[in-house]
Amino acid sequence: MNTFRLSVLASALISAAAAAETPTLGNPAISAVLDGYYQSGDRALGGREEGFGLGESELAISANIDDLFYGKLTAVIEAHDGETELELEEAFVQTLALPGGLSVRAGRFLSDVGYLNNQHLHSDAFAGRPAVYRAFLGSHYFDDGLRLSWVAPTDLYWTFGVEGFKGDKMRAEDEHGEREFDTVGVYNAFTKLGGDIGDNSSWQLGLAYMKNQNGRLTPHEEGEEVHEEDEHAHDHSHSAAYTGENTYVADFVYKWAPNGNYKYQHLTLSGEFFRVNDFKAPELHEEEHEEEEGHEHAHDKDYHQGWYLSGVYQFSPSWSAGLRYGELDTQLAHDDHYDAQKLKETEVSLNWHHSHFSTVRLQYTRQQGTNFDGISDDNLFTLQYVMTLGAHGAHQF
Amino acid sequence: MRINSKLLGGLLALTLGHSASAVAGLNIFACEPEYAALAKELAPDASIYSATTAMQDPHQVQARPSLIAKMRQADLALCAGADLEIGWLPMLQMKSANANVRDGSDGMLYAAEVIETLDKLDKVDRSMGDVHAKGNPHLHFSPRRFLQVAEAVTERLKRLDADNSAAYDAAFVRFSERWQTAIPGWETSAQELAGRKVIAYHTSFRYLFDWLGIEQVADLEPKPGLPPSSGHLAGLLERARKGDVSAIVVASYQDTRGANWLAEKAGLPVLVLPMSVGGNDESQDLFSLYDSVINLLKGAN
Repeated sequence: MNTFRLSVLASALISAAAAAETPTLGNPAISAVLDGYYQSGDRALGGREEGFGLGESELAISANIDDLFYGKLTAVIEAHDGETELELEEAFVQTLALPGGLSVRAGRFLSDVGYLNNQHLHSDAFAGRPAVYRAFLGSHYFDDGLRLSWVAPTDLYWTFGVEGFKGDKMRAEDEHGEREFDTVGVYNAFTKLGGDIGDNSSWQLGLAYMKNQNGRLTPHEEGEEVHEEDEHAHDHSHSAAYTGENTYVADFVYKWAPNGNYKYQHLTLSGEFFRVNDFKAPELHEEEHEEEEGHEHAHDKDYHQGWYLSGVYQFSPSWSAGLRYGELDTQLAHDDHYDAQKLKETEVSLNWHHSHFSTVRLQYTRQQGTNFDGISDDNLFTLQYVMTLGAHGAHQF
Repeated sequence: MRINSKLLGGLLALTLGHSASAVAGLNIFACEPEYAALAKELAPDASIYSATTAMQDPHQVQARPSLIAKMRQADLALCAGADLEIGWLPMLQMKSANANVRDGSDGMLYAAEVIETLDKLDKVDRSMGDVHAKGNPHLHFSPRRFLQVAEAVTERLKRLDADNSAAYDAAFVRFSERWQTAIPGWETSAQELAGRKVIAYHTSFRYLFDWLGIEQVADLEPKPGLPPSSGHLAGLLERARKGDVSAIVVASYQDTRGANWLAEKAGLPVLVLPMSVGGNDESQDLFSLYDSVINLLKGAN
């Protein structure tokens, strides 16, 4: 990455003389994101709460460490229920000089699963991640681990990568706290393809397979109540609410701008599909098959799934509007059976951008839940600002 | 290492049916079309790719997959620099995993680093708009600076592809002679433009105006990077009514709505100048780009 970025913050920290001379590897890019909001109700599956609040306010420092390594540290400050949490979202090093299109990233970083996941929340066109992300990835999945990726030397963009993570956030509920978990819990393999269609359009397709060693539920005793819904409604630990052993993700993004000029207007269409298979404990599964005949829940599924489609149209440098629809189908454990739940979310956002660095957003969300976390129908309004101080954040496609 | 990656690339090209590295010569990734055009003059055998067109605002390019793929294969990247590409180039450098084109490598050349930029700032604050501390990056309309860039590019080409040094030297001499012959021609032709006052959009033509003695008395942007607002345009109308402004100038990738409004109210012509090669039908290379820009400016009266 470019270390030539000097920012307001950096200028304040570094003397004027240092800022004026040719920047060196020693001058890191420093940026902060401020995010504040008012919301008229609680969002299902965690996320923003009713009333005034602060979203993810972050402070990031990045620089080339030397000619071989790049490093970045992102600290996120969140306030919930009167408590301020400081969390490290990124603390990684990445290689800069491996041959053959290879690179390695190590430390804590955002997984390359799906399309949105490796993007920072503040670059989104909506106030929260889609329900599939909140349900299956804990809003956005970052973890301690290692990534090896490779970019093919072809005109068609093709990248392939594998990741291994600690996986604490992706663990299935452990009611008794006595379960033995694998220490490397999550493996992810992903590939992305992309290119242009003429001067106006660009596209990318992605596929990922995530293996979660600790994703299956622990078998629990007869008659024991599982309180998943209560815990997750107020859970801000960034853990996935629904886990499974095998997750398959397909994503696409298509961007259009007249003549490829993104300054005045552009359209982004994107969508992702998640399927989380094999979430039942093996023992539970067997029991169920035995009882299947006389049981009214004979149609239990052994997977969760969800998807969303999003369209964002920036119709002038100052204004953009977004429409997103998503569905989530999950199975919630109840004693010896599972109840199917469904959540539908329709979201409309209107964004005002005074410059690249400031956004004020008004968003309307309609949550329709069938048997879902106590939600039947709900209308939410969110007024939010997202402002970036300091170094230009180069955003991904 | 290079041989391996080329071999791998060749195999992949076979399997995927896409061309990998260039068959002959270097792979050159240009951030803007003027640098692609320069590369064409100096390394005619190279495989040259321009990341942007003259119809695209180079400040706001997307770090899209096709660009990552092209950068992955580049032996040399030529960019304006001075933070013009800061919103997308660092992402390409990171994502393309190509050590050749990281900052500080022989394969990464920023034009703004080999010349003296105009409007360097000691102090930069975002309340000033999206300004560049390292000076104005739209330097390709300064013919003498651009010649210095050509010289630096030639040096790089020779360093990267030493076997063909003589050919690069010869190409530079050819270009340099033609360019130095053209400069006085342009200057003579543009003589009548000296002292003229214009209102323009952004500081896109800062070097051109500096060279030809044109004065940009006002900017359609209230602050760099901010679109023209109605209040600001009203102020510009006041300025235009003084009667000394001869034209409103916008670049090929800029929106003409604000300019058209002002033009109508103030009775001034709007000149859409090609920002780079390909910005209009006349601008096929660097020479015809300069010709076209000067002709359009002269035609304003």
